[in-house]
Amino acid sequence: MKRILIVDDEPHMARVLRLYLERAGYAVTTSTNGREALAAIHSAAPDAMVTDIQMPLMTGKELCLTLAAEMPDRRFPIFVMTSMTDREHREWAGTVDNLDFLEKPLSMRMLAQKLEKCLDRDANEGSAGNG
Amino acid sequence: MASNVLRDIDFARYQRWLNRAIGADAAFMIFGPDGETFWGEGRSDTPATGRAIAAASVGAPGLRRLDIDGGRTVLHRSLGIANDISLGWAALALAPDQETTTARLDEIADAMDDLVAGIVDEYRQRAELELMTEELGSRYEELHLIYAIDQHVQNHAGDYESAFRSLLQSTAEHLNVDVVAFVRPEKGVSLHATSLSKEIHNLDLVLVEMRGDLFRFVQSLRETIVLNADDDPRRTYIFTDMPYKVIACPVRSDQRVDSLVVLLNHKHKPDFTNSDRKLAEVMANQLSSLSNTYLLLDSMGEFNHQMATALIEAVEAKDPYTRGHSERVNLLSMEIGRTMGLVPAELDDLHWGSLLHDVGKIGIPDAVLCKPSKLTKDEYAFIMVHPERSYEILRHIRQLKNAIPGARHHQEKFDGTGYPHGLKGERIPLHARIMAVADTYDSITSSRAYRAGRSHEAAMAEIERVTGTQLDPAIVAIFRDIVAPEPEWLQRFKIRREKA
Repeated sequence: MKRILIVDDEPHMARVLRLYLERAGYAVTTSTNGREALAAIHSAAPDAMVTDIQMPLMTGKELCLTLAAEMPDRRFPIFVMTSMTDREHREWAGTVDNLDFLEKPLSMRMLAQKLEKCLDRDANEGSAGNG
Repeated sequence: MASNVLRDIDFARYQRWLNRAIGADAAFMIFGPDGETFWGEGRSDTPATGRAIAAASVGAPGLRRLDIDGGRTVLHRSLGIANDISLGWAALALAPDQETTTARLDEIADAMDDLVAGIVDEYRQRAELELMTEELGSRYEELHLIYAIDQHVQNHAGDYESAFRSLLQSTAEHLNVDVVAFVRPEKGVSLHATSLSKEIHNLDLVLVEMRGDLFRFVQSLRETIVLNADDDPRRTYIFTDMPYKVIACPVRSDQRVDSLVVLLNHKHKPDFTNSDRKLAEVMANQLSSLSNTYLLLDSMGEFNHQMATALIEAVEAKDPYTRGHSERVNLLSMEIGRTMGLVPAELDDLHWGSLLHDVGKIGIPDAVLCKPSKLTKDEYAFIMVHPERSYEILRHIRQLKNAIPGARHHQEKFDGTGYPHGLKGERIPLHARIMAVADTYDSITSSRAYRAGRSHEAAMAEIERVTGTQLDPAIVAIFRDIVAPEPEWLQRFKIRREKA
């Protein structure tokens, strides 16, 4: 079962995401800020991460930039949830590989589609590599 | 959903609990309504037991006893969640050496009662959670769509078509459908966007069908239709021979269905779901108010135009010789404005200013305005106040605020000897300097009460002569460039030419 890490300090958002993704057949863990997420990733990297930006202790942006610096060969995709009006505050993401934005209010459907797409592709690449 | 939820329940916990309650290793089993096994797979005779129970019982209440071929005895109890609704059965096989005194059976019955109550409770909670998740998911979906619509409208403020198009495009991608379309047949509106999973060869035909039969069908039905199955009987009337899955939502305004939102998928895609339908309806509602707003804006623009035309008619009715003058000055001014690269908002102001520059002539007595002979000084004074009159009339219209200075100062001269304020050079508003060139050209080339219109060449010569005194040389230079390639309006306005 593919493992998804959700990073959000708003409990209701984390819960809805968790329920929805569990139903879609993923194993889900949650963290409430970037620092917690970083610890979780160091102990076991997920297959994909979905993170908010505005969070206490360590923001989603800091988390992504830290990951880019600390784990240059990270393979799992990152999805950053951001408000639609924040289109212009996205340049920082240019330096982080394998990162996509999701506009809030979040469309679970769109998230599920994107996850399926990139985790599928991942699986295909993996098997092609082995074969 | 029931079986998915049942599958998620951790029956091992119930097994342990039952073992403790009856003080033995219970041969505990859970079956679905058709006897399918959810717990107890370890024993070889479990499937047969499930089938036997499903065949024998019709969800009867209480603990029942069933003797199965081969001498096995099974106690079972329905997992009823409501009257007549059962998830299946909880069952317990009695071991051959099982003590079957009444007291012992009562004890087991009590344990089974508690066990079933626990399972049913857990099921209800899980089912509730499922529903809430589903519900929340679709609420988020709707919110996402509504926010997206709002964003598109803000990003394309005032541009009806591109707002709609970008909206349809992002909806096609968001909902992952091949075609999203918005049609409003009576207004000739037909917009669509695609996110194709596979080529569509006859998209034009499909759009014609949407505006025609599909629109009329939904209009008479007044509700959303969802076509998934190939053999849906409604296909006789709509999308005959077209192998697509369709959602068509009516968009209402004033209780009337006047447009449609249509979602179209190739047959190989999954069926449209209730949630797709719900989202299409949300979008239809949003688009309905949006399209009404745009139509209202359109009709307001039309109203403005008609009011302006009426005003111009009033002026030109006073002096038949000036017929068409406002429109020609408008056209020439706009040519100059566009060549100068004015931004759309400025062009808009220039448009209204040049069109209405002479409305102040309404205040000039006919005897003066139409006098064929030379004007006296007093009579000329009437002529000189007309730009100020234009200002006084137009200032009541707030939307024309930025258009007025052009009209008010179109009779100023570049050297400061004009009227009404004697402004000089760059102090004269740019639009007024533009209109002055256009006005001068048209005054010379059009016929007046006291003389016939003069030639294009004569007008250009006169314009050159007053460049720098009456007219802004920079604008004259632009005008020279505009007329050089012989634009089509020279013929349209029937301007006389001198034979070369």
